[in-house]
Amino acid sequence: MDFRITPEEEAFRKEVKEFLDKELPKDWPGVDPDLYHEDAFDNIHEVSLAMQKKLAAKEWLGLTWPKKYGGHEQPLWKQIILEEEMTYRGSPGLDPYQFVGGMGDLLLDFGTEAQRMKYLPMMVRGEIKGATGMSEPNAGSDLANIQLKAELQGDYFILNGQKTWQSAAHKADLEPVYVRTDPNLLKHRGISIILVELKKTPGITMRPLEMMSGLKAFNEVFYDNVKVPKENLLGEINGGWKIVMAALSHERAYGVMLLINIRRDIDLLVEYCKETKDVDGVPLSKNKMIRNRLADVAIQQEIARNVGYKLNHLALTGGNVVSTANTVKILGGVTTQRVAQVGMQIMGMYGQLGPVGGNWRQTDPVKDKWTRLGGRMKHLYLSTVCNTIAAGTTEVARNAAAGALGCPREPKPAPKK
Amino acid sequence: MDLALSEEQEMLWKSARDFLASKVPKTLVRQMEEDEKGYVPELWKEMADLGWIGLPFPEQLGGGGFKFLDLVILLEEMGRACLPGPFLSTVVLGGMPVVEFGTEEQKKAIIPKLCKGELIMTMALTEPSARYEAKAVQVEAKAEGDHYIINGTKLFVNDANVADKIIVVARTAKKQHPEEGITLFLVDRKAPGVKIHLLKTIAGDKQCEVTFEKVKVAKADILGKADHGWAIVKKVMEWAALAKSAEMQGGAQQVLEMTIQYGKDRVQFDRPIGSFQILQHYMADMSIDVDSARVSLHKAAWMLSEGIPCRKEVAVIKGWLDEAYRRVTAQSHQIHGAIGFTKDHDLELYFRRAKAAELYFGDADFQREIVAQELGM
Repeated sequence: MDFRITPEEEAFRKEVKEFLDKELPKDWPGVDPDLYHEDAFDNIHEVSLAMQKKLAAKEWLGLTWPKKYGGHEQPLWKQIILEEEMTYRGSPGLDPYQFVGGMGDLLLDFGTEAQRMKYLPMMVRGEIKGATGMSEPNAGSDLANIQLKAELQGDYFILNGQKTWQSAAHKADLEPVYVRTDPNLLKHRGISIILVELKKTPGITMRPLEMMSGLKAFNEVFYDNVKVPKENLLGEINGGWKIVMAALSHERAYGVMLLINIRRDIDLLVEYCKETKDVDGVPLSKNKMIRNRLADVAIQQEIARNVGYKLNHLALTGGNVVSTANTVKILGGVTTQRVAQVGMQIMGMYGQLGPVGGNWRQTDPVKDKWTRLGGRMKHLYLSTVCNTIAAGTTEVARNAAAGALGCPREPKPAPKK
Repeated sequence: MDLALSEEQEMLWKSARDFLASKVPKTLVRQMEEDEKGYVPELWKEMADLGWIGLPFPEQLGGGGFKFLDLVILLEEMGRACLPGPFLSTVVLGGMPVVEFGTEEQKKAIIPKLCKGELIMTMALTEPSARYEAKAVQVEAKAEGDHYIINGTKLFVNDANVADKIIVVARTAKKQHPEEGITLFLVDRKAPGVKIHLLKTIAGDKQCEVTFEKVKVAKADILGKADHGWAIVKKVMEWAALAKSAEMQGGAQQVLEMTIQYGKDRVQFDRPIGSFQILQHYMADMSIDVDSARVSLHKAAWMLSEGIPCRKEVAVIKGWLDEAYRRVTAQSHQIHGAIGFTKDHDLELYFRRAKAAELYFGDADFQREIVAQELGM
């Protein structure tokens, strides 16, 4: 056992930190890794596109991918360090839908040579943005209930139906869309994946959905006789469920990113408590109850973060990451919510105030006169609700965890056709 | 980073599990709860012969030359087995400070015997105030010629009933700062004026009131420097909290495993209760508590083994397990139903131990205060 970081790892981490110091706008407040900020604000979206180009120039996009697709064939530990440092700084630009368990991995695992040659180099050059087309109004936790229909007519699939909760879709160029290609098969068996170029394909309309945090980053996406060339089928026809499972198992980094991101907020709260005095003139950091609560969430963050190291270790040594990634995902969700809750308790009445998005560095001196930490805690309180729901609810994740423990299966009703 | 156990550690782990499974049935655990001594001398000797008692001590003193991380692996198994007896007291509260801070004479006189299982030790730190703080050290030791005279009462002293030597934490000078003026003494339990009264505890472990009435101790029996003993206590508190965390980890692991098994075996409504989703979620939460703690436990133990400061990491794992172990046993009770809280079942042994362990060398509030300090608050 050795928890030490090698000099090589340390050197790369330093290089990433220096890159971020240089390339991020001055006083960058940090955005959350779930993409919502960069989807909801045009100015943040522009920073994201610019960072993506800079990462491409640095040869850090497609870091581990094969050279023939434009990748750089670097070891996985570098990718992990890059993800971690970018997350801690709250830097956009490393689009998870492409590079962190996203389309890149799916193309490498299931794509045809032509698909790989077409799309992977675009991603590596930082030219496109991604999204993912999974959820539908009646296919949430019951993902296999996907209804969006795709019929093969000649050289094209014709898509009809609706997706929902599509974060980033309004800014995205390309996404894998999960469709039903055979309604007569059992529900897990009739699903396929089709790569759709969202901006270039006629017949797609989107309606933005505003989240309770005030961010407009979600979309309903409607498909009305949308024609997609049949060579855009990813994997086998009706063999999509295997890819769904693979896509979910590629979610290695989601929980870790939540946990690293929330560390920034714990640090922020500690500083706030040191600088802010209560009515008796004593800093909040000397208040016993506040010390106790903040330490409590810091402990939980660190315990969970260390499981993230175990996850990295498994990924790097070729172990099975699914079960541990699941644990980290659950911990990431509940831990971020607890930090938000403690943050709101510390802010007291002031916790109610703040602009949409909670930007603690760029508040309006008039409108946000009384706002503290730019309303970051208010934003966190509203936005972390999603963290136990997105990418599989913690309840679905607990079902999976129980399965991994060897719990007897719950008797299921007879499957519907 | 390499988070796997070494081959040697795997062997230690497996042999410990096998040995304890065969030698420490739960009937023995229950018997020892009622026993005056609280341990089986023959078993103690066997553990010494296996090299367990001397595990972390230098080879030239008769020890095994292993690291704290190896000790943690052994302690996890002891926690799993509910091993009764003065192992933690002897090794962590007694032997380790002697090796780290003792004179050559003290080490030679104590450690080889301790490794052979011929000497049991403990530390007398807490008093009726029941606080792990310097200002709580009120037992007095007054210098008189070549000796000190100790007077006062220590409380919650583990295994003092069977200890041959007790490291007594006493106040030798009243200074402005409570951490100054504290001295540690190596005292024979059988010295005139030492009285032991065994307490009846929730976990049936052996904690004692130890009273000192004009107990005479030679200056040569000071451990470390006079008036500067608190620095040693702080170290011991870290070691003890981490060692207890290892026991808690092992106990929680065992509770998780027996709960999953019970969920498979117990049938209600014509199906194993482990197939009900609500109980599956309890078990999922239990496994998250257990599995997530282990990485942090091993990280802190590794840091300690490598001599890297780890005050915060120890507080993180003890503070977490203080809550998590209790949570795991409570959820297990809910799944076991009525059988779990009877003395016919093993589970109640763990539930009682989880509470005792939580209080040992700093509860969750105590550990959180350390973490707050380490966060710079």
